This record gives sequence, C-alpha cells and structure tokens, in this order.
Amino acid sequence: MLNYIWVGLIVTSFAFALTSDVTDFTRDTYRNGTPLPVALEFDAAYDSEARRQPARVRIDGETYGAFFNTDARPADAYDATLIRTAEGVQLRLDADADLPHPLGTIRDVTNPRTGQLQGVLSALAADSAGIAATTTVRFEPVRFVKMNAISQAALDFAETAASIALGLIGVLALFLGLLRIAEAAGVIQAIGRVVEPVLRPLFPEIPKGHPAFSMIVLNLSANVFGLGNAATPFGIKAMEELQTLNPTEDTATNPMVMLLAMNTASVQLVPPVLLLALMGLQINQLIFAIILATGISLVVAITAAKLFSRLPVFRASDPNRLDATRPDTPTSPSEG
Amino acid sequence: METFREIISFASAFVLPAILVGFPLYGLYKRVPVYETFVDGAKEGFNVAVRIIPYLVAILFAIAMFRASGAMDFLIAGLRPLLGAISIPAEVLPMAILRPLTGSGSAAIVVDMINVYGEDSILVKMAATMFGSTETTFYVIAVYFGAVGVKKTRHAVAAGLLADLVGLISAVYIVRWLFG
Repeated sequence: MLNYIWVGLIVTSFAFALTSDVTDFTRDTYRNGTPLPVALEFDAAYDSEARRQPARVRIDGETYGAFFNTDARPADAYDATLIRTAEGVQLRLDADADLPHPLGTIRDVTNPRTGQLQGVLSALAADSAGIAATTTVRFEPVRFVKMNAISQAALDFAETAASIALGLIGVLALFLGLLRIAEAAGVIQAIGRVVEPVLRPLFPEIPKGHPAFSMIVLNLSANVFGLGNAATPFGIKAMEELQTLNPTEDTATNPMVMLLAMNTASVQLVPPVLLLALMGLQINQLIFAIILATGISLVVAITAAKLFSRLPVFRASDPNRLDATRPDTPTSPSEG
Repeated sequence: METFREIISFASAFVLPAILVGFPLYGLYKRVPVYETFVDGAKEGFNVAVRIIPYLVAILFAIAMFRASGAMDFLIAGLRPLLGAISIPAEVLPMAILRPLTGSGSAAIVVDMINVYGEDSILVKMAATMFGSTETTFYVIAVYFGAVGVKKTRHAVAAGLLADLVGLISAVYIVRWLFG
C-alpha cells in the first residue's frame, strides 16, 4: 500500500505541475518577451552615461491588470537601480520588494539568489528636466515554473532530510542512553509486576503458568517505557510461544490478535525517542496529550479485538474452534 | 477545565527532568553501572540517526514535491469541507494516512510540517501527538506474524486500524482541547 501512496504522491505532483505549466503557457500568464510600460523617476537628472543610477519605478495599476490579465495591483512605487550593461540598460528592483502576482513569481524564478527582479529597458524618453521618464521593460522569459519548483523541492528536501537526521544524533544518543539505564535497572520487570494482573483477563485462552503470558507482559511493559528495541524481541518470543498453543500453522489465534492490537495502539508513558529528538522541549506539553490519546486507542484496540473475535466470520476462522467436534457450541474459553 | 490546563502546564515542566534525573537515580539504586550503561546505549544514537535517513529522504522529497506542485493545497482545500464537518484540520491528513504504514516516514511528516507551519503551530502539535500516540500498525503486523509464519491474520488488521483511527482523531481533539 505504501508503494502506491508513494508513487501516487510523486506522479500526482508531476501531473499537477504539468497541468499548471501548460495552463500558464496557453494563457501566456507571464507575457514572455512582451515589454511592460513603466514610468521612472530620478532624484538627480537622468544621466545616459552613468553606470549605475538609482530610480523609482511606477507601474500604472490599470495597465498592469490589463497587461497580465490579473486583479493584482502593484505598489505605488518601487525603488530600483539602472545599470548599464553590454545588452543595454538594465532595471533592477531592490531585493525583496513586495511584488504582485505574477511579477513575484517572475522574480522568484528568474533571480532566486539575489531576490531582485530585473529586466532590460527599451529606449528612455526623459522629460526636459531629466527627472521623469517613460519606457518599457522586458523581463526574462519564465517557463515551466512548477516543473522547476517540484525538481527544486525534491533536491532541497533530500538535503534537508539528511541534515535533520544527522542533527538528531545528539538528542537521540541522550535518550537512548537514558533508556538503556532504565532497561538495565529492570524497569520492564517492575512495570510487568504492575500490569500482569490487569493483562490476565485479556488473555483467557493462555493456560496459567504458560511462558507465552510472561513474554506478553514483558513486551507490553517495554512498550510503556518507549523501549521499542527491547519490546520487539519480547513480542516475537511471545508470538512463538503463542504459536505452540495454536492448533493450526498459518491462522492467527485470538490471543495473537489481542497482542497485536495492543501493540499497534502502543501505550507509552515515554514518547518515541525520535519524537523527543524532533520536538525538543515542546514534548513536555505534548506528553499528556500523547498519553491520553494512546490510552483511548488502547481501549479501542482491546474492545475491537474482543468484539471482532465474536463476529461470525472471525468465530468461524478461530483455530481453537476449527478442530472442535461441535463448532456451534460455545465451549471455547474466549466466551468467558 | 482551566485548572486542568494549569495543572498540566505546571506538571509538564517536570516531565523531562523526571526522565533525565529519575532514570540515572533509579539505575544507581538498582546498582547498575549507570555511566557505562548510558554511554553504551548512547552509541546507538548515531546508528538510529543514520538508519532513518533513507526513510526521511523518501517521504520528505515526495511530500515536498506534492506541496510544490500545488497538489497539497488542492487536496487540503478539497477535503476541508468534509473533514471540517468533524472539525479535523485537513493539514494533518498526510500524517493520518502515513502513520500506520511507516514510522520514520511519518516522522518526516512532522519535519515537513515544522518547516511549513512553524514549531509552535497547533497543527504541528496535532501531528506530533498523532505520531506519538499510535504505532506503525502494518509494520508490527508484518514483523510479529511474519516471525511465526501466520498468514491468515483474521481481525488483527481491522482491530489495529480501528484503534489507529480512533487514536488519531482523539489526538486532534485532545490537542485542540488543551491548546486550542
């Protein structure tokens, strides 16, 4: 199932990106290659020889809306710099200007590093004083915005994943060390003595004194303390012991399902180490929420395992009933 | 209600100290060589961190692509009316879907949500509680039944998933109740 979800995520991303880019292309969202009319203002008179000159850019709202076919409107004025290059006069808006759609996207795609929107100006028509001018600006063409975005996201987050995981080493080491102490100090056995009488009624099918039950107690106690690494071997041993009580080879018995259900609900007083490492001190606040939620899911797991085992379809498949001479007579201990 | 919140915020200051101080003290009382044992366990930290990298990469990059393509916004907007009816924010849906399937992968969802919504966001609290309060059901079933060769699992999947579902939903409600 995970295979399908994973591929689904990736393929859906591709399909969405493709659709969005094709829509942009047919609607010409970014008016690639078409110059946008703008007005420039200078504090000092325009100097056609200066290499750099500061300027203010004004874009008429109505013109902008009609040009990009959008409801978004530009701000009153943008601070910018004119730069003379080999290709002509370049207009460079200050970094992180509050740009309307789709200019913001054009900036992000064409110049993500500096955060400056830049375009090439056509001939400048300055007024007599040289402090105001009208012209047009042509931005770099923008294509396949989403296609580039998903590729970039994939690369960025692959890197993020590794750096986050490595950043967790210290905190993981701290808690795994503490948990090892708890394990060595016999916390599992101590908890086991407390939970044993509570667990007994949930596994009526296991004969008294059978090793399966003590393994189950150890498995669930280890889970309570978030000792996942210790819990799994106990759980597997418990399953092996339960299998010795199983008249069939390949069908789960009721106590097996109960053990599984309780494990998937995972009652824990100490949250998973990975979560501790990820959330840091925040875990303090969340711990009660976690204990509460996990308690509720445990109750549901136990109830569901008990009730489902009484459904006709699962009663019929109960290995302890398959070899019973009169399958309809409620002789199984699970009835108790 | 308010008093309960007060008590929890008061008590929660002692959770981590209890672990940090309590475990070594209890170990000492039980005559465990605490320092050596700690170091021995802490060695695992590196292994665990390295072991989860492939899982984090696999899920994080796929989710990041899903977000970047706009598909996530579309999905969230589409499901909001439906999930809103039971007052579950649609943003936590990826966690609910992936939690029973992959443990490290759903940790990646927490990472992703911290990136997008910020560490203090209630959505991150919900996702973290969801992560902490349920198990990787399909993995547990595969490992335990696989170990003894049981193939007909009967009602194990149904019971496990039902418990997950209720656990995940209660996580959302409890977090909203405590921090909402």
